[in-house]
This record gives sequence, C-alpha cells and structure tokens, in this order.
Amino acid sequence: MMEDRSPIFECRDVTVRYGDITALADVGVTFERGMIHAVVGQNGAGKTTFARVLAGLVRPAAGSLKFSGRPHAGGSVNDARKAGVELVHQSFALPPTFTVAEAMQFGAEGGSLFTRSALERRWQPHLDSLDVKVKARQRIRDLPVEIQQGVEIARALVSEAKLLILDEPTAVLSPEGTEKLFERIRRLKARGVTVILILHKIREVLAIADTVTVLRSGRLVDGPLDCTEIDADRLAELIIGPAAARGLNADDKAALTGSATVAHAHNETPSAGKNTVLDMRAVSTRPDTEGPALDNVDLTISAGEIIGVAGVEGNGQRTLVRAISALVDVVDGKLAIGGDNVTGKQLAARRAAGLRIIPFERNVEGLSLSSSLWENWSARSLLQMPLLAAINPITIQKRCAAALNRWDVRYANVTQRASSLSGGNAQKVILSREMDDDARLILAAQPTRGLDIGATSFVWDAMRDAKARGCGLLFISSDLDEIFDISDRVVVMLSGRIVAEFRPPYDISAVGAAMTGVLK
Amino acid sequence: MNERFVSVLRAVIFVLLGLALCGIMFQLAGYSAPLMFQAIADGAFLRAGALQQALRWSLPLFITATGVALSFRAGYFNIGAQGQFYVGAVSAAFMAEWLNGAPAAIVIPACIASGMLGGAAWALWPGLLRLKSGADEVITTLMGNFLAGLVLLYVTSGPLKDPSGSGQQASSRPLDAAYRISDSMGLSPTIVAIVAVVGVAIWLLINRTTFGVLSGLAGRNPTMVEWQGARTWRIGLASFLISGALAGLAGTVELMGPNGRLTGGFLPGHGFTAILIALVANFSVVGTAFVALFFGGLASAALYLPIMAGLPSAAIDVINAAIALFITAKSSLIDRIAKLKGRTWKTS
Repeated sequence: MMEDRSPIFECRDVTVRYGDITALADVGVTFERGMIHAVVGQNGAGKTTFARVLAGLVRPAAGSLKFSGRPHAGGSVNDARKAGVELVHQSFALPPTFTVAEAMQFGAEGGSLFTRSALERRWQPHLDSLDVKVKARQRIRDLPVEIQQGVEIARALVSEAKLLILDEPTAVLSPEGTEKLFERIRRLKARGVTVILILHKIREVLAIADTVTVLRSGRLVDGPLDCTEIDADRLAELIIGPAAARGLNADDKAALTGSATVAHAHNETPSAGKNTVLDMRAVSTRPDTEGPALDNVDLTISAGEIIGVAGVEGNGQRTLVRAISALVDVVDGKLAIGGDNVTGKQLAARRAAGLRIIPFERNVEGLSLSSSLWENWSARSLLQMPLLAAINPITIQKRCAAALNRWDVRYANVTQRASSLSGGNAQKVILSREMDDDARLILAAQPTRGLDIGATSFVWDAMRDAKARGCGLLFISSDLDEIFDISDRVVVMLSGRIVAEFRPPYDISAVGAAMTGVLK
Repeated sequence: MNERFVSVLRAVIFVLLGLALCGIMFQLAGYSAPLMFQAIADGAFLRAGALQQALRWSLPLFITATGVALSFRAGYFNIGAQGQFYVGAVSAAFMAEWLNGAPAAIVIPACIASGMLGGAAWALWPGLLRLKSGADEVITTLMGNFLAGLVLLYVTSGPLKDPSGSGQQASSRPLDAAYRISDSMGLSPTIVAIVAVVGVAIWLLINRTTFGVLSGLAGRNPTMVEWQGARTWRIGLASFLISGALAGLAGTVELMGPNGRLTGGFLPGHGFTAILIALVANFSVVGTAFVALFFGGLASAALYLPIMAGLPSAAIDVINAAIALFITAKSSLIDRIAKLKGRTWKTS
C-alpha cells in the first residue's frame, strides 16, 4: 500500500485578532497526513490560538483553511469535527464528577437513554484498544493526571478522528509520564492518525515529532521543518529570536526552550549563608479540597538560597505554600521564619517576620483585577498599619508609580484597573509588592507560568537579585528546566511528602523518577 | 476619571430605562404617560416647595444608603437596612421614654446614640453568623427585617402604646415637642448637620483610611486580601456595624424629626429604597447624595400622582422596582463600553 502523503491540513494567511491584540498574523502552513507535527514557540507566540483555529473554536479574521483539500470557513467546532479534527485542551475539560464512561458518552454520537452498565460495556473496549489502563466506572476526579490525559485522548478519538491536536500535553506530566504519552502517540500514528503536538520543549520535539513548525509573536518563523535535519541549538535560536536572545545567557536560553538540561544552577556564587529563613519541622496539615495534606514535612531554607520544588502538579505544592502562609490548618509540627517561631501565628504575623508570597493564581490570589493598580500595590503596606489609619491616596499613588516604574511595569495610570495589564506586567506588579527590602523568605509559586520570554527572564533575574540580597526563596514550578537553572537545591514532592532532595549537578531522569515515586 | 464617567453614565441610563419602561406600562394600562412624567417632575422638584419635600425624604435615605454602600462595597450584602432602621427607631423611642422630663440637650444625644446602637445590634448578629459560620447574610438580614417589623408592631401596641390613640393604628405616644429635632416638614439645621457629619465621616472613612482601601479590595476579591494576611473578619464586622448604626440613625431621625412618634408600619420601603440608591450610586458617597435626592423627589411626587395623573401613589413603587430591575441586571452593554476603554491601556 502506498503511503498517502497528501496534505491533511493547509492554511494560508491566517490572521486572528483579540480586540487590539493580533494573536496570529499571516500564518500559512501545510501538514502532511500520517505524521507527527510539532508546533513550538514561547508563551504568547500564538500556539494555542493556532490549535483553536484548527479545532474550529476561533474564526480567523482573514485567511483560508483546508482540511484534506476541502476549503473550510473555520470557526465551527461541528465542521471541524466532521472533518475529523479533535482537540485535547491544555487544561483538561472533563467534568470531575463524571465516570470515565459518562465522559466518553458526553459528546459521542447516538444513544439518548442508557444505563450506567450499558455505558461501561460500550466504552471499556474503546479504552482497552487505546491501552488506557482505567476502569470505565471510575470517576474522573479519582484518576491521576496521566490517566486523565489518556481518557481525554480516548474521548477525542471516539469518533474516528483523523487529525488529533494536543495542546501542551506534557505540561502536566512527569518526564516518565511524557515518555508514556509519546509511546501512545506513536501507536496512534501507526493507526494512521495525524497528530499535531503543541509543545514548549525542544527536547520533546526532537524525541517525538517528524516535523516542527516554529511560531514567534504570532508569526510563522519557519516550518514545517524535517526534524531529522535540524539541531537543538538552531531550533532554540528560531524560538527565542534575535531580539530576546540578547541579554540571555546560554543556560537561561537552554532552560527557556528545553534544548538541553541545565545541570548547575546559573548563579554567581552558591552563597547559602548560615542564617535560616525557614525552618519547618515535621509539619502535617489537615486534608482539604485544594490538594493532598502535608505529611511530616521537614524543610529548611537559608538566607541567600533558592530551593526548587519539583513534582507533578497536585502533589502538595499548593498545601506547602498555604501551610507556610497560615492559610491551611496545621495539625502538627513547628515552623519558624527568620528565626521567629511562628507556629500557630496568623499570616499577618508571618508577613511581619519577612514572609512574602507570589501566589499560584496571579489573577485571584495575587491581584484584585477590578481594583486599581495602586490599591493592589499598597495592600501589603496598608495591612501593616492600624485599620483606621489616615492615608493620603495621592502620596500612595506617587510611591506606587515610582515602584512600578522601577520594576518596569508598562501602564498608563496607577488608577487603571489591574485587569487592563498583560500577564507579564500583572506579575511585575506582584513582584514589586512582594519583593521589597524587608522580605526575608519569598514563596514563588509558579511565578513564570504563562509569561513570555522577556517576562520569564525578568522574573528569574528578580529572584536571583533577591537571593543576592540575602533572601531565601522557595521556587515552585512544573518546569524542571527552569527549576534546575535557578535552584541551589531541589526537593521533590509526592503525595504531600518531600520524597527526595537533589543538589547540582542535576540528573533529570533521577528527579523524574522521584516525581513518580520510582526511586525510594 | 474614565471609571467615574462610566458609572455615572450607567446610573443615568438605568434610571431612564426604568422610567421609560414604566411610561410604556402605564400608557398600556390606560393612563397617560406624559401626564405621569409631568406629575413626577412637578411633585418632585418643580412645584413650589417640592424641593423641600424632596429633601425631607432624601436626607434619611442618604444616611441609610451610605451605610448600605459601605457594607456592599466591602462585599457584605447587608439587605437588613429596613430592620436596622426599625430597631434603631424603637431603641431611640425607649430612650426618650426612659429619659422623659430630662433636658433636651441630654435626651437628644442619648436617643441618637441609642438609635445607632440599636441599629448596630440588629446588624451584629447576622454579621457574626456570617463571619463565624458562613451563614448567608442576605438570608439572615432579610429575616431580620420581618422580625424587626414585628418588634415594631409589638412595641407600638404594647409597651409604648399611646393610651389616647384611636386604636385604628398602633402608635406610640408623641414625643415631647422639646425633644423633636424638626417639625413635620422634616427639615431643620439639626437634621442637615447630622447628614453632613455622616456624609463627611463616611467619605473620609472610604477615601482616606486604610479601612477604605482594604474593604474595597476585600469586596472585589476577598481571596487576594486573605493572601495579603488581612484579618477579613474585622473589616466584615466593622462594615456590618457601621451600616446597621447608620440605618438606626436614620430611624432615629425619622422618629425625632418629621414623624414625632412610632407607628406600626412606618416607612415600609425605606430600607429597600436605600439599597437601590446605593446600587445606582455605585457605592460612592457623593453619588449617593445625588441619587438620594432623586429618589427623595420620587417619594415626594408619590403624593401628587393621584391628584394630577389619576395614578395610585404606589406607582412610585413600580418605578423604583423597574429601576432596580435594570440596575441589578448585569448590563453587558455598559461593561463592554468600559472594557473598550480599558483595552487601550493594554501593552506588550
């Protein structure tokens, strides 16, 4: 049988705008049938928008689309489905309370009346055939992330999809889970499914894809390029671009693009002082809805030290931050910040001892989006004053403007709403509030998530500056490359416990094994 | 500046929409809409003495509405202004009864303090329930309104009953003229002074204290304020107590001013109109002053509707409700305008 190499998808001059922002500009690519195509780029490069155009979730403002040679208007999920296109979202969209079988049925053709057992009989073979190791009667919320992703892929394949798009599927996975996912994708390819992978890491692109397409700032840089003919360095250059590459050192570049593993933290001096800024002894918490409880966690951070926390998301990283911040019930253990015993003390007292937090959810925990910049910025210092202290908003606004300028925030007026800022600028507002001169212990929870190159390296530099000033930092990220690049030590969390600790040089496979509990 | 313009525009549009809707409804019901609007304009502001009458209603409304605005702004939906208004009036009436015979210089401040304490107490228990156990304050304060209404009925037909009353309507013994802070026209330097003090104090509290900034943040995003280490219960409790005290103060003003006595069902719509005023004014103290004047005008026009347009005076309640309908419905149009303006700031 001759291999069919006709294009499964073509687009010409596709442009997508969200308001004033152009997310994609004049993008034209052709993807051949039966291959694994990678689309790479930094945050803000337009990868997700591109995936959404393919899946019919976004109608381009200009340009033409063709599936298997037939023109499509775009902007209709149903049309895309009929053409055999399915998208697996970056953040899973399965209802957590559904059983696997119900999630499969949801969106599938046929059958309006059914029993639970009939559903399970219908979908179990489908799951088995895709080698998703799960019982159809299990509930989505009880499944580990990797299996959830398998279910999500199985759901996308209920209707004989010809073109499967996975939007950043590896972001939630451990290195080992990524390997398993790639196995699954190769089997799909063998079944004749064309796969488009939206990826972030060059290492992953070269491990799985046949071709690679690079986007930067909404434009097509190059592609599809044959993966056998391009090396990691060249690809890193294409992704970062000449402008942003200036001012980035080689290790930061490698960490940004995942082109090579940074084994040593890029630090001027490994300068961990003797002063302990965080001393956690045998801390356990009460379980709640936001994640697993901490189980007997010991952790110390010295002044001038950055501790990276690695782990598959949802293994207690959130609880760790909340426990240090007195935002969860600590049932056992001792906690000292900067030498002050703060066990049982409230967050206000801990902040007074020098605790600062860059929270996970920038737009919920970090900022009040509908409030003004100066109110957001001043909250921390106002909380150190009595509740009825007189203030002069003009003075505060001036100080806020000075601070925001120092942190290079792009804004028009300190009275504008925080929601009017881009993600990078919003994060800088938080940094300018939390990384003040009195900070001693800074909890940085996913501080670069969703940020573009410039903002990401800005955050890294800010963390290194804080370290140089003698702060201790706890750095939580789901990106091992940046953890290795920044951290003096790395601890691995699994099910609410710290299961391993690593020092440079880091070994990505050893850390990855600890993340999934293979290592003791 | 932009934000302020948008919120003023929003308020004006909603009020006009509410009025237009009522015009259409009453026209369809067989009344004359032009005549109705003329009656409202005359009765509210244009007729000789109308402005004075409008002020008589709007001053107590302003007091209650600033309290409502303060608590809504902090994210606590204390809709118990009516109950707090009643309990405040009842507390003041008891104080006046107890101190009867003492000099006015003692009785009046004592009554005002007692009225404010009563209103605050009636907001304290829903506040504690909300802050300690998460009980929805909308439900508890609403129930509090009914309880307070029954307390008022009991008091006016029991402990404070006017023995010389006709018995048609339960009411308390009229206050001694010396203890009144205004005549039945409801305008006096004392009342104006009270309103001015309230307005300035609450404006300062919201715009010139840490409490003002933090409560505004907490109202818009309590999670963020929690991650900043705020003890949100202090902000919450203060909001409940201040709004209750102000509603109680308005009740006291009504008792010692224009009414001069408690009656069974006195000013039944006061609290809800105050909530509506706070919403239309978008929780701004200055805005509340203007909006209160407008709704005070509507209240004074209520008397002229039957005479001039042949409409029942309850038509004003219909107008209030229509405005409330629009103001509480989330208006995507106005929000879209606001968003368009915000977008020009978005950089990088």
